[in-house]
Amino acid sequence: MKTIAIALMMSSVVFTACDNGNNKSDENAETNKRSASETTPSSNPNAEATPIEGIVSGYLSLKNALANDNSKDAANAGNAIVEAMNKIDKSSLTEDRMKLYADVEEDAKEHAEHIGSNAGNIKHQREHFDMLSKDMYDLVKSFGTGQTLYHAFCPMYNDNKGAYWISETKEIKNPYFGKEMPTCGEVKEEIKQ
Amino acid sequence: MSRIKKMLLAILIILIVIQFIQPARNTSGQVLQTDIVKVSNVPQSVQTVLKTACYDCHSNNTRYPWYANVQPMGWLLARHVKEGKTELNFSEFGAYSTRRQANKLRAIENTIKDGTMPLSSYLLLHKDARLTETDKKEIINWALQAKDNLEQNKP
Ligand code: HEC
Ligand SMILES: [Cu+2]
Repeated sequence: MKTIAIALMMSSVVFTACDNGNNKSDENAETNKRSASETTPSSNPNAEATPIEGIVSGYLSLKNALANDNSKDAANAGNAIVEAMNKIDKSSLTEDRMKLYADVEEDAKEHAEHIGSNAGNIKHQREHFDMLSKDMYDLVKSFGTGQTLYHAFCPMYNDNKGAYWISETKEIKNPYFGKEMPTCGEVKEEIKQ
Repeated sequence: MSRIKKMLLAILIILIVIQFIQPARNTSGQVLQTDIVKVSNVPQSVQTVLKTACYDCHSNNTRYPWYANVQPMGWLLARHVKEGKTELNFSEFGAYSTRRQANKLRAIENTIKDGTMPLSSYLLLHKDARLTETDKKEIINWALQAKDNLEQNKP
């Protein structure tokens, strides 16, 4: 009798524990969903200004994550860029743009993938961000973005050889050094839409 | 037979059986026209270092060490070769777009500076692949130079 009682108690403990676990993971899924939809680009009411809108918005959240020294958010943004790139309908592009896109595609995707798979290694993410920024600049110049962007330059990154990035604000928030040197850099060009 | 003996026997049998599962070899035996030494001006000393320290995983010709015949080590090597070649294949470097070539040179510079290549697991068994400070400097200088040349010759 005693053993049965104990067994019942044990199993109820196990069940409730399981239940809790389930609830928790549901909650997590919910919050994940919410934060995902918050960062998706389609919140823009003017919708579909340009075919690369998803890529640009992924890039900008990547840049902001790096400026905040947040490697995990940077990785998520990297993955978002890959997803946005997979969704591009290449056949709908004009010939010039198709050519440029074909040139950039493989390269940019690889950088975004490495950024996505290197959560915890922000140094390596920044190395790829530097190269990705060049690809983005070429894309943005050819496709337009529907918003004014700024091409900024930090002369100190990369052993003082310097590196560019693209920002949606004029204010400098350095993605290469983050909090260590947040205001290093200057805007070199205003990219009108 | 005790349980431990049975387990050991089972492990032994598994080890013997997996020896027969040999992964395909990565040895084309030829140097393609697209090999980096054909399309870029690579100093002899740098060529030697790249060939000893990088080509096993980043080219179409791996020099297979003895342990490649011992599983599961051979499988691990095969995986490194497969992943390494997708990242960077010196044998096909010339077929990359100019943009990709420039970025790969940049990536080489970065991995050498950060000390992430060659992979540390590889260095355990390949003492000759350890880079000296001179090796590193020479690779970095060459990579920078080659990248500048690319950018100047851009169409
Ligand atoms: C034992 C196999 C092995 C050897 C030897 C090796 N690599 Fe790699 N390399 C890899 C693998 C696997 C990857 C992809 C996974 C990773 O980045 O860790 C890689 C990735 C790379 C990348 C891309 C890095 C990035 O993340 O952007 C570069 C550049 C590179 N290797 C250069 C080199 C150079 C230069 C050498 C020689 C000095 C070398 N590798 C030697 C296996 C190897
Ligand atoms: Cu990488």
